[in-house]
Amino acid sequence: MKKVLVVDDSLSVARQLEKIISESGEFTCVGHAKNGAEAIKMNHAEDPDIICMDMNMPGMDGLTALRSLSMLDKEVKVVMVTSLGGVGDKFTEALKLGAKNVISKPFEADDVLKILRDL
Amino acid sequence: MAVKFFGQFLVEKGIVSREALLRAIELQEQKNLKFGEMALAMGYVTPNDIERAHHAQLSRDIKLGDLLVEIGILTLTQLNEVITRQKNNHLYIGEALVLVGAFSNEQLQQHLNEFKADQAPYISERVELPAGIPNPEVWEMAADLTYKMITRILGLPFRAGKCQAVTTVDTNFVMAAMDLSGDQDARFIISVSQGLQKSVAKAILRETSVDNEPQEVLEDTVMEFVNVVCGNIAAKASQAGRIVNINPPITIRPDAGGLAVPAGHTGLCFPILVGDGETMQLVLLIKN
Repeated sequence: MKKVLVVDDSLSVARQLEKIISESGEFTCVGHAKNGAEAIKMNHAEDPDIICMDMNMPGMDGLTALRSLSMLDKEVKVVMVTSLGGVGDKFTEALKLGAKNVISKPFEADDVLKILRDL
Repeated sequence: MAVKFFGQFLVEKGIVSREALLRAIELQEQKNLKFGEMALAMGYVTPNDIERAHHAQLSRDIKLGDLLVEIGILTLTQLNEVITRQKNNHLYIGEALVLVGAFSNEQLQQHLNEFKADQAPYISERVELPAGIPNPEVWEMAADLTYKMITRILGLPFRAGKCQAVTTVDTNFVMAAMDLSGDQDARFIISVSQGLQKSVAKAILRETSVDNEPQEVLEDTVMEFVNVVCGNIAAKASQAGRIVNINPPITIRPDAGGLAVPAGHTGLCFPILVGDGETMQLVLLIKN
């Protein structure tokens, strides 16, 4: 079963994503980081296959963390989960920095799982 | 279920790959010249003119073309010619995807139709603001999109009250805020009464009961609603060529007397009438 790390400063979004991931039966959630710096530490500790990460977080934001993760770990697949997905420049920047896809908030469980399966 | 741009829609739906989209964006970046590059290509300015203007732009909030006219390097006619050439030669992302072989012209039209249908719920409708508000089109769009998100995300039936300029904002059980920057600085606030906070939490968490949830989680759901609305406002603004940057959401706790609108700001209050004794407001504190 593929391991997923959730990174979001919002407790409610993290709860939603953890529920979708764990109820799928295809993925398992290995933890929840609240900002980019925690994500880098937890990526090292938990070695997830996939990271679902918010862009807009206090402390180290998602794009800064994505830049670091792309250099530190060539294996992990990062999907950004953001309300900013519709801002073309932000979406393009995320893809250029190595994100495999971008999930827009608000999201539906089916859309999240389709994107995770397609990675 | 969100405001999107065409490339994002195609990748999210799995119609084109991330790699194909990046190739198309790269092609766009090569073909779509910026104002200075186009003016240079048309022989109206020199690299030195551009450098001089960029230097002057550091201390002024003005578009490059307007500045070049102001300092006498471009005439108004030349400015318009450059803008027209930029528009006429613009390579759209759909066309770029056809050129990189992601799909055919016929498929482009079909995908554009699917995209239009997906985005139809977010077509802006008029919201009336008091006279004299700077950049009214941005704030009309922000209020309209907030109403649409209340319907689509929260599933709340409501009636939009008349927008009023205020000097004090009424306090409420939870007030979640987000600071916006970019073309205009403002604070976006959603306030909800206790009963409505539960309705917001149920919708965001997709739970039938939130009675056992800690207050921290309940407050977070209102902040997340603000985050989603403001992100979509930023996306809609970017489609109109406006820059709206967002920050992490916060909660604010004014005293019982309410929140005074800070000096140098205009306060706009949009009552959201939901009935059952519950209260909800959208408030915008716009820097003048």
